[in-house]
Amino acid sequence: MRCSKAAEQLQLYIDKRLPLEKMRLLELHLSQCNSCQQALFCFEKIDQALCHMEMVAEPADLTSHIMRRVAHSVQQNEEVHPYVLFQPSLTEWLAALLLATITTLGIILGQPSLRATLPIANGHDAFSYLCINLWNNLMSLNSATLMLAFWIVGTILGVWITLLVAGSEMRALWLKAMISRLPVW
Amino acid sequence: MREYLVQTPHSIGISIPNITASCAEQDDRELVSASQSGDQDAFAQLVQRHQRRVFNLVFRMLQQYEEANEITQETFLAAWQGLPSFRGDARFSTWLYRIAYNCCLKQLEQRKRDKALQAAIQAEHLLDQVDNEGHANAELERQDCQKLVHKHLSMLPAKYRIVLVLRHLQDMTYEEMAEILTIPIGTIKTHLFRARNLLKERLQSFEQEWKTRG
Repeated sequence: MRCSKAAEQLQLYIDKRLPLEKMRLLELHLSQCNSCQQALFCFEKIDQALCHMEMVAEPADLTSHIMRRVAHSVQQNEEVHPYVLFQPSLTEWLAALLLATITTLGIILGQPSLRATLPIANGHDAFSYLCINLWNNLMSLNSATLMLAFWIVGTILGVWITLLVAGSEMRALWLKAMISRLPVW
Repeated sequence: MREYLVQTPHSIGISIPNITASCAEQDDRELVSASQSGDQDAFAQLVQRHQRRVFNLVFRMLQQYEEANEITQETFLAAWQGLPSFRGDARFSTWLYRIAYNCCLKQLEQRKRDKALQAAIQAEHLLDQVDNEGHANAELERQDCQKLVHKHLSMLPAKYRIVLVLRHLQDMTYEEMAEILTIPIGTIKTHLFRARNLLKERLQSFEQEWKTRG
């Protein structure tokens, strides 16, 4: 083996990346060549020196600095894109539309003057009779109970519509926040 | 530098370092997934796991503690911002080191642009320091090969320095280095070869000078 070839292979030899066959040939050459031995010795010295590089301790507050910058970037991102989580799907939009229609219809049907302008529920068809009967039944209830029922139904509908429109990601965040706020018995 | 374990259970034919590495990888994957959905606590855990290695990589590249602190912060911030695009094809650490290396290169470019003159003076000063140490006998006695290699390492071009740092400080294989630096293994071998040869030449010339000056 020539010294030039050996010089090429010395580093691979140090890194244990030389195939067995070539390694044997190189070792044979090294046993006969003083200058290549010196080169190997020098590389080994460098290798050892580099391997003894100490791990430097990072600043104690590095994590907190990083996390502060991360939180700041999140905040900035939210300022730039305030509706980044507002991504309702088509089904969610349709469901919200349906619920909103039901709510609007409920409001309209509650007003006799508005009800009279509609082709349905104006007092002469089956739907009207159903609505009137329902209305009368409701009216026969205690006014406090009635207000409570309206308030509950209204709130549920409102929350439902909001959550539907908000999209799944916002819903998951809302649910997580709600659960974390639940009292533990 | 290395994570030592008390004993490897050869009797059952399982290597603990491999198990710990794969467990860490698995944990990393879970933390990355949580971080991707915006969990900052999970990302904080990832930071704590990798900050020392990243900091050391950056520090060895830039050679300035404060600057390394700043660039490490930028690396993790860039990682956080890039998490949605991280598909998990490579290991998280590999991806993180790649970001760190790119941040270092950017910083070195910036340094070169802003302080070309100052950097030249600093490098000259370092060389002078080595030279002066060579002149003073008392200094020479204390001067060992390790210090000299470390000093010359800081003067190597960035592309050569990074391969030595990854190889020796982070204990990486040629394949891992190729993945991080996105260059072929052949180029890694070439860079390592040239880097070590440069160090060897400088070390030999220093020793030669020392001998001739008695």
